[in-house]
Amino acid sequence: MQYLNANWFIQWIVDKGVPESTVILILMIPVVVTVIAFFRQIVGIKAFGIYTPAMITFAFLSIGLQPGNTILNGAKYGIFIFAVIVIVGILSRTLVKKFRLLYLPRMAIVITLVSLATLAVLVLGGSLQRTGLASVSIFPIVIMITLVEKFVATQIEKGSRIAIILSLETLVISLVAYFLITWPPLVQIVRDYPWVVVLTIFVNIFLGHWSGLRITEYFRFGKLIK
Amino acid sequence: MFFRNKTILGINARNLLYIRPNNLKSAKKLADDKLRCKRILKKAEVPVPRLIKSIKSREELENFDFNSLPNSFVLKPNFGFGGEGILVVYGRKKGRENVWVRADRSQVTEDDLRNHIKNILDGYYSRLDTPDFAFFEERIQLYKGFKPYVFRGVPDIRIIVYNHVPVMAMMRIPTEASGGTSNLHRGGIGVGIDMATGVTTTAIQYDKVIERSPNGLLLSGIKIPQWTEILKLAIKAQNISKLGYLGADIAIDRNRGPVFMELNARPGLSIQNANQEGLLLRLNRVEGLKIKTIRRGVALAQNLFGGEIEDEIENLSGKRIINSTEKIMIIGRNKREIRTEAKIDTGAGFTSIDTSLAKELGYEETLEKFNEIYQQSGGWEKLKDKNSKTREELFKKVPFLADTAIIHSSHGTSYRPVVKLKIIMDKVTIPALVTIIDREHLKFPVIIGRRNLKQFLVEVK
Repeated sequence: MQYLNANWFIQWIVDKGVPESTVILILMIPVVVTVIAFFRQIVGIKAFGIYTPAMITFAFLSIGLQPGNTILNGAKYGIFIFAVIVIVGILSRTLVKKFRLLYLPRMAIVITLVSLATLAVLVLGGSLQRTGLASVSIFPIVIMITLVEKFVATQIEKGSRIAIILSLETLVISLVAYFLITWPPLVQIVRDYPWVVVLTIFVNIFLGHWSGLRITEYFRFGKLIK
Repeated sequence: MFFRNKTILGINARNLLYIRPNNLKSAKKLADDKLRCKRILKKAEVPVPRLIKSIKSREELENFDFNSLPNSFVLKPNFGFGGEGILVVYGRKKGRENVWVRADRSQVTEDDLRNHIKNILDGYYSRLDTPDFAFFEERIQLYKGFKPYVFRGVPDIRIIVYNHVPVMAMMRIPTEASGGTSNLHRGGIGVGIDMATGVTTTAIQYDKVIERSPNGLLLSGIKIPQWTEILKLAIKAQNISKLGYLGADIAIDRNRGPVFMELNARPGLSIQNANQEGLLLRLNRVEGLKIKTIRRGVALAQNLFGGEIEDEIENLSGKRIINSTEKIMIIGRNKREIRTEAKIDTGAGFTSIDTSLAKELGYEETLEKFNEIYQQSGGWEKLKDKNSKTREELFKKVPFLADTAIIHSSHGTSYRPVVKLKIIMDKVTIPALVTIIDREHLKFPVIIGRRNLKQFLVEVK
């Protein structure tokens, strides 16, 4: 049993009846949000705040951990569903725009269309014998559909260009975070020394005081830097 | 790569070192509340767009009489940000009740306005999605001098004020890409401004340097009117709002002059690219200074952050320095004014203007008559054998013709009509005799020749 070499702390929680995978996942949350904070403060990749990329990461994880799926499949199907949702979101928004509706009803229609499209994707997955895609559980799907509101709201506020850029950034950060938290050595470290997770607090204190230029700003202001 | 940079202000440093310690929560709250800002600024005698009516609830919306609206107005969400949710109306649609027209000629009905106001009230455009107010205000009329550069909408001037000193400024010009808003991330143009003179310098679109506006005009060298007044307003707004790190947005109304539009507690950083200079150095230079009066703040801004070289040479020689292309205004018959760009051509004696320009300036008849006689008398081939007296006699009856001229150029010799008009260049009015010729295939509709360049030195780049 893999539990044997686990840290006493995790062992203790598991003995209380909490599944080990849940414990590891929860301990990974600080890692994921720190990755997102790092990308924002040091790299300069914004994405849709902290909540959306974190959720998308766990949506990928949920797909990847499904019986029969591999880590790579999680990313593949995740990206596919993500892309479908964003594209259908853009299309249905332009469609609904013509009716000049109030915000919430309008958003409701967009989410309806996106949901139906997601359903079609699952059916498609099934008919192509991609059972991993067809049997994706409801959790990651619901999470990804809520992405649409973020996307459409940004599209209205800041224009399509920014919305698409932020979606791609969200996707990139989520993928990086996803591959990081499924990286066996890291999983092993968290399992053996769960207290390392506390270190992320210090990392974030550093990030919160960092007043240097972000990497993207070196490109943005490139010519002005002597 | 991670060494502290000393010239550029990045987002992290702006938030951590400038906004957080200098812009207190209460001041930020005021900046976000447009109606309150308007009231407080107005009380301090800062000119603001006139409030037409505010709508604070659905009930007020039901009771509002849309007939009472003027022909043109702006509808805004009170807690809106980044220019979102702003609806600009230019006039009423003729013959239809309560239908207005927007800048892109699309129509807005009373129902559209109601819907938009409902969305605003629901908090859709407010920063935190909280319920909001909507208000109608006076629309700023485009200042004539900016007209050639603007696709639609009104440019505004953004000034960063820190420690009571305006440190950097830019003009934001709406473009077709930005849909008439002056938002830089939507594709508006940002043009840097020399702090001493209020004359534009370098320009950017999407953070990339550009030289000309989409319709081909040079973006440098535009003179912002009432510049010191604008600087004063910006400092005054900082004193009133208590925003230690302020982005002041000021527009220029055709009739009213500078009008204060908005306080911004989190001004963007692209202004550095527009000016091709970092903010951090400038901020450091005014750090810790004790500035007691608005006048002192203006003087410091102009002395510290203005380019002085040109002024110095101008003072030495008594001549004005111009570039090889300059913006000019031509005044023709009946005070008809045309703004355009001219090439300064020291190789030419006469100043020449394009035929279509001459027509617009009121010389259509002159040209017609001149050409008629020119054709009748057999063109230059025949005319060149006559002496100047007889030629003068021939064209005597052409209206508003001042003279005729024989011009030898690389294209051969031509015989042209000459008219008298006024040219305003670099703030100097020059009475000029100009020849009229078809310049349609050429880049500039006007060349200024030696005869009219006596008061200038031409800088060749």
